[in-house]
Amino acid sequence: MENITQIVQKVRQAPWRVQRQWIGLLLLGLVLVAMVAGVYLNVTTRASISGRQIQILSAEIDRNKQVNADMETELAGLTASESMQARAEELGFHPASTDEITYVAVAGYVDNSPANLSTQAASPQPSLLKPEYSETLFDWFTRQMTASGAQP
Amino acid sequence: MKNPYSWRYLTIAVLLGLVGVAVLVQIVRIQTDPEIQILIGRSDIAVRYYYPPRGEIYDRYGRLLAGNITVYEVGVSLEEITDPTTIALAAQMYLGQDFNAVMEMLATPPEDVTYLRLADYVSTDQAMQLMKMQEEMSKDPNGNPLAALGFRAHLGRQYPEDELASNLLGFVTQEEYGYFGVEAKYNNLLSGIPVTLLVPTDPRRAVELPEIPPGDSIILTIDRELQASIENILEQALLETGSESGTIIVMDPRTGEILALATTPTLNLNDYGSVEDIFTGETPFNRAISQAYEPGSVFKILTMASALDNGTVQPGTIFLDQGIFNYSGVNIYNWDGGAWGYQDMTGCLGNSLNVCLAWVATEMGNDSFYAYMQRFGIGHPTGIDLAGEVTGRLKLPGDTDWYPIDLATNSFGQGVSVTPIQMVMAASALANEGQMVYPHLLYATVQDGRQHTMSTQVVGNPVSADTARTITEMLAVALETEASRGLVPGYRVAGKTGTAQVPTPYGYDDEQTNASFIGWGPVDDPQFLVYVWLEKPQSSPWGSVVAAPVFRQVVEKLVVLMGIPPDAVRMQLAGH
Repeated sequence: MENITQIVQKVRQAPWRVQRQWIGLLLLGLVLVAMVAGVYLNVTTRASISGRQIQILSAEIDRNKQVNADMETELAGLTASESMQARAEELGFHPASTDEITYVAVAGYVDNSPANLSTQAASPQPSLLKPEYSETLFDWFTRQMTASGAQP
Repeated sequence: MKNPYSWRYLTIAVLLGLVGVAVLVQIVRIQTDPEIQILIGRSDIAVRYYYPPRGEIYDRYGRLLAGNITVYEVGVSLEEITDPTTIALAAQMYLGQDFNAVMEMLATPPEDVTYLRLADYVSTDQAMQLMKMQEEMSKDPNGNPLAALGFRAHLGRQYPEDELASNLLGFVTQEEYGYFGVEAKYNNLLSGIPVTLLVPTDPRRAVELPEIPPGDSIILTIDRELQASIENILEQALLETGSESGTIIVMDPRTGEILALATTPTLNLNDYGSVEDIFTGETPFNRAISQAYEPGSVFKILTMASALDNGTVQPGTIFLDQGIFNYSGVNIYNWDGGAWGYQDMTGCLGNSLNVCLAWVATEMGNDSFYAYMQRFGIGHPTGIDLAGEVTGRLKLPGDTDWYPIDLATNSFGQGVSVTPIQMVMAASALANEGQMVYPHLLYATVQDGRQHTMSTQVVGNPVSADTARTITEMLAVALETEASRGLVPGYRVAGKTGTAQVPTPYGYDDEQTNASFIGWGPVDDPQFLVYVWLEKPQSSPWGSVVAAPVFRQVVEKLVVLMGIPPDAVRMQLAGH
């Protein structure tokens, strides 16, 4: 029994063992820091990529709007009054005069009415950014609580 | 037992710890030091200006008259310039810039400037050529001499119809400001509201940019095909008559919608830089609203309508025309100097007798005559939605330059100045059952996908509906009696010619006239009102000879385009 106590005492008091414990703790701390840093780096990178994608998409939206405007104006140029008249004449048509027209009554015929350029009633644009990219921790917590509270 | 090597471990640990601390300190310093922020040339927040696309302009059937097209701003980043000579050469070749000017600009840029704009509103073709050259030069092993060039695409105004309706539309300059026409009148509506935003440049802090609404689009009342047709008719009329200028207005008298408006000179709106070469001196951009002149005999319709309305005369009232009428010590003569004997009021109008109309006005008296003229809007702007309208002049009793004889001369359109659009508005009362309508070009606005259509505005009832119908009938009979060149086969129209001498500082010019014709139809259901004005025609001075045929041509064209059948067919269809 005395021998066993002496052995335990010597093991406990061995300086290299104490050092190993400290090194172990230090390494554990480093691993934790590395994990936090890794998570932080991951989140930051994903946020940056998403942000950049948003910028690219915004630029693409602008470009598409410009292309749409270009195409509309180009189409208007191709169907301009002078162009259409020239094309009609090439095809052998000429402007009708009063004595070349025969009027007939057509039931239900609706005369050429002025333009209506209304599109569907504009609905509010959904947000492009998910809340995760803009809300605070408190906001997120509140949202989670609200969401869980709303569940039946 | 003490480890004899422990100090070594301690030393290494301390050194590694110091390195770690140094790394942390450096990380913090790089992210916060203002000098480094300046060195890397950016801040976390950038100020961005967003100019919404300018709203488009359509004709009444939705055909585009003014749209947008991609153009480029070409600039140079001063910090990246390696070869200014090549940049200046490229600017000269592709942008039409002066080589020396560009060299000087690059050599002596303003202080604190890192970016210089070389050109803006560069066409896509030009910009693409320059981009292609820049790309080819990027293969240069010594570095790309055009690397400093930058391109920013944005929208600029484009007019697909070039000159068509140019006097109505106006134009937009590179400063994005509208001049003349509806571009100026509705500039605020079309241009939208520019937005200034603080945008984080750090992608981790990306924020959602607000949707910048474009400027409102507008739909005009004009019909592109009718506009093109009457512009052609006017051009032909000017050639045939040798007139100095001309104006034709077509309006729907029931609503005040301007269906077409042609005047000279015109301008290719895509080349608006030539505006000063074309509209020299006092030439107005749009004579229909910006040039007041003495209208002459077309004004008689207002005098006669007023006299009929207040009961001074009836259509059958007989006047003995002795060829001269003395009033306030001044003699008034007819256009031919002759005496036309007994005439009823229809005859007075049909033969355009100054003597008769002067007598009618004097019978009405100053108070009544001028009250009616003011009710017709003479002497006041119509308020038409075009920039640059002038008022004209109606002298009134009490004005320092008004004399009693003015009552007599005003009755046949002398001594009073009006714009064509004023005459059209006044005549709308006669063509529209006594209701005078506001002439306008705006049919509707389109905002956020919703169309807001304008409603008809009646601006007054200068005469009764009975009077309007009576004078319309009198004018129709007068045209038929004289077998006017303004008559349109198949359609009964009412109208009046006008031939006015041109006033000069030394009296009236006997050689030069303003020839005009105002008319509307069909008489039983007026759907159009046409005003023709030819300035200083050379082939003949008379409105009945030069302006009346133009009226007929316009009506023949518009009844086809508006789908108005001949009277007989219309009656038949109505009874069907």
